[in-house]
Amino acid sequence: MENIGALAILLSFCLSIFAIVASLVGAWKKKPFLIVSAERAVICVWSLVTLASGLLIYALMVGDYRLAYVAAHSNKAMPMIYKFSAWWGGQEGSLLMWNFILATYALVVILQNRRKHREIMPYVTTTMMVTQAFFLMLIAFLVPPFQVLSTGGKAIVDVGDGQGLNPLLQYWTMVIHPPTLYLGYVGYIVPFAFALGSLITRQPGDSWIFTTRRWAIVTWLFQSTGILLGAGWAYSVLGWGGYWGWDPVENASFLPWLTSTAFLHSVTMQEKKGMMKVWNLVLVAATFFLCIFGTFLTRSGIVSSVHAFAQSPIGPYFVAFLTVTIAITILLILSRLDYLKSEAPLESVVSRESSFLFNNLILLASCFAILWGTLFPVISEAIAGEKISVDAPWFNRVNVPIGLALLFLTGVGPLLAWRRSTPDNLKRNFMWPTIGFVATVAILMGFGISHFYALLSLGLCTFVTWTIVSEFFKGTMAIRQKDGLSFVPAVIELTHRNTRRYGGYIVHMGIVMMFIGFSGAAFNKDTTVEVKVGDKFPLGRYEIKVSDIKMGQNENYIWQNAIVEATVDGKPFATLTPERRIYEKSQQPVSMVAIKRQLNEDLYINFAGMGSESQLPTIQAYVFPLVTWIWAGYWVLLFGSLICLVPAKIKMQYARTEVVGVSTKNVPATK
Amino acid sequence: MFRLRNSALAVLLAGYCLAQSSSQYVTPEIRRVGDKLACLCGACKNTVATCQMLECHYSLPARQRIAKMQKEGAADAVIVDDFVKREGKKALAEPPNEGFGIMALATPVLAIGAGLALIGWFLRRYRKPNAVPVMTDEEVQKYQDQIDKEFSKLD
Repeated sequence: MENIGALAILLSFCLSIFAIVASLVGAWKKKPFLIVSAERAVICVWSLVTLASGLLIYALMVGDYRLAYVAAHSNKAMPMIYKFSAWWGGQEGSLLMWNFILATYALVVILQNRRKHREIMPYVTTTMMVTQAFFLMLIAFLVPPFQVLSTGGKAIVDVGDGQGLNPLLQYWTMVIHPPTLYLGYVGYIVPFAFALGSLITRQPGDSWIFTTRRWAIVTWLFQSTGILLGAGWAYSVLGWGGYWGWDPVENASFLPWLTSTAFLHSVTMQEKKGMMKVWNLVLVAATFFLCIFGTFLTRSGIVSSVHAFAQSPIGPYFVAFLTVTIAITILLILSRLDYLKSEAPLESVVSRESSFLFNNLILLASCFAILWGTLFPVISEAIAGEKISVDAPWFNRVNVPIGLALLFLTGVGPLLAWRRSTPDNLKRNFMWPTIGFVATVAILMGFGISHFYALLSLGLCTFVTWTIVSEFFKGTMAIRQKDGLSFVPAVIELTHRNTRRYGGYIVHMGIVMMFIGFSGAAFNKDTTVEVKVGDKFPLGRYEIKVSDIKMGQNENYIWQNAIVEATVDGKPFATLTPERRIYEKSQQPVSMVAIKRQLNEDLYINFAGMGSESQLPTIQAYVFPLVTWIWAGYWVLLFGSLICLVPAKIKMQYARTEVVGVSTKNVPATK
Repeated sequence: MFRLRNSALAVLLAGYCLAQSSSQYVTPEIRRVGDKLACLCGACKNTVATCQMLECHYSLPARQRIAKMQKEGAADAVIVDDFVKREGKKALAEPPNEGFGIMALATPVLAIGAGLALIGWFLRRYRKPNAVPVMTDEEVQKYQDQIDKEFSKLD
């Protein structure tokens, strides 16, 4: 079986090379049969990578402990679902999954475009297959997933049982978090491939943007979902209630999200005004390269992280791949600058167009700051000869103001008119949201809240909410007057007429809800106590009592849990059962915290074990205000993103601003 | 009190493995100093005060040392300096405002400044030029007079 798997990977590597050569030669020599042949090779690559993935999953399921990967990441006692998720639990398997997702995307693109975009498809195929060949090379020669265990390099050894998956990964969100994140990571190659194809063939207009817009939104949604699932996992599993720790691997997933968010905004400028063409290409390329960079960061061992895979020899290959592909992309963009010129001038600094520029600046500033902070320990060691730590306090210091500026712009954007906003227009649009902001801050201060950032954040949340609600309200009232619809059908009609605009507003509402959740962190409370069973201790408005301790075991782990009763004003509020587990194979302790989730605050209890000296139960109790708003915000974001994917009822035709009084050097080149 | 449902081996093993030291707790005094120091366990980006990882091999002894030095009357700065002497600048949770450490905060600020400058350039470069008058005021007045004259004839 291992031979078939290894051969499938090797063959798919060879076929991906063939697809690259056939596509390029076919396009260059204008030989359609070569282009079609390359596309068929892509289908074969997908079949072979799927076969290899299937074989590895089968080996994990049946427990083929002759394979080093299976022995290291699975064991007999693990539930079947975690045996399946062990596919991406280690370096080799996760790279195979990377390849599988990439091959699947390539297959879908090929099938979707059999009769479309024939001029650029050879270059789309080439871009995707170059990336595919690189990742297949890694698992074919450097970190093979089908390596067998052997004694002295001769006899194959079956160790009988494996080490099992890291216990921290044996949690339901970890079954879907990595694949979702990978679907996002890998998916960015599609817009990038179309952008490059369009650039190489000098396609007239913005066809690559219209073609890949939906891909970009879907990929962004996967990336958002993956990040939020990771945050949810950290909150529920790591035992300290943090959902974001500025870990290098977390940062690596966030960086392409920021650039792709910037792209999804600035692309509107290109669609409506024919502006920022170079910038959009830079953003698409940066997003793709940051995905590859994130994969490199996770797997090379250059930064230490609890999420990173074991150190492996693949780091230098990533550096080489990134260097070459970035250089080619820069050269291509520079050689096509004449074709990428802006079609319209900016009419006013106070306009919707400008707000997009500032939105991009803020997103990119955040991206740069996070990248800089992540790499600073490595850079300081290389330049100054001394490693300098950059930990969560630094990231918060830098990113909280940037995040608030972004939130402010989220509200300002819809208040500004396209082309130009007049003072009257500004006064009319800003008055009520600003009153909402001031009133919120005043009310919160009246309740004794003095935390500066929390006040600002919650005030801005009101400001943005007001703008979003008023956008819906104004549009709905106009439709009601014109079509005589009642309120709810009018809202649906409004949204359906321009799904991207109103779906986007709903996404913004999700982000606002998340900011409400982030603001709650300013008011966290916690305590760690050793208490006798039956004794109470206070935390915030709660009285907490450990009423019993239980223990037991199953074939995978030994467990011990505490029955914790919480009361408010003497009335029973909740009974929680936090648990500690020791996994038999790894002997690793894991906390299964118990959370009573509410809209205003979470009561979060971690059973840290029995005190080694006192033999009393040790309880870590936390109150996390407003955290639930983060998860609720995600569902709103998901809903808004799905609405963006629904085709609009009315096809928008954007008349480009007439170019008057501008010298000929600003007029786009026509071909 | 304890209801044991499974084997005695499980009890012994669990009792051993699940035991925790009480020395890990963070008092407000420890938190004040611990917030300035990085947890160097290699698995998190928290501070000595905020690292909540069970049995962390760095933050737990670090808290004990902070508590011991505080008991001996050491000031916060002295404790922080002591950590820096032992571990180097990496012991600090945030880069120091000296030497290369200044670059940590300065670079993002400079980058934002560069971004603003770029936007400024973009606005100047792509802003619609103001309309340029094609005739002088005298010429405009001449045509205005002509119009008035012709309208008066109509009357």
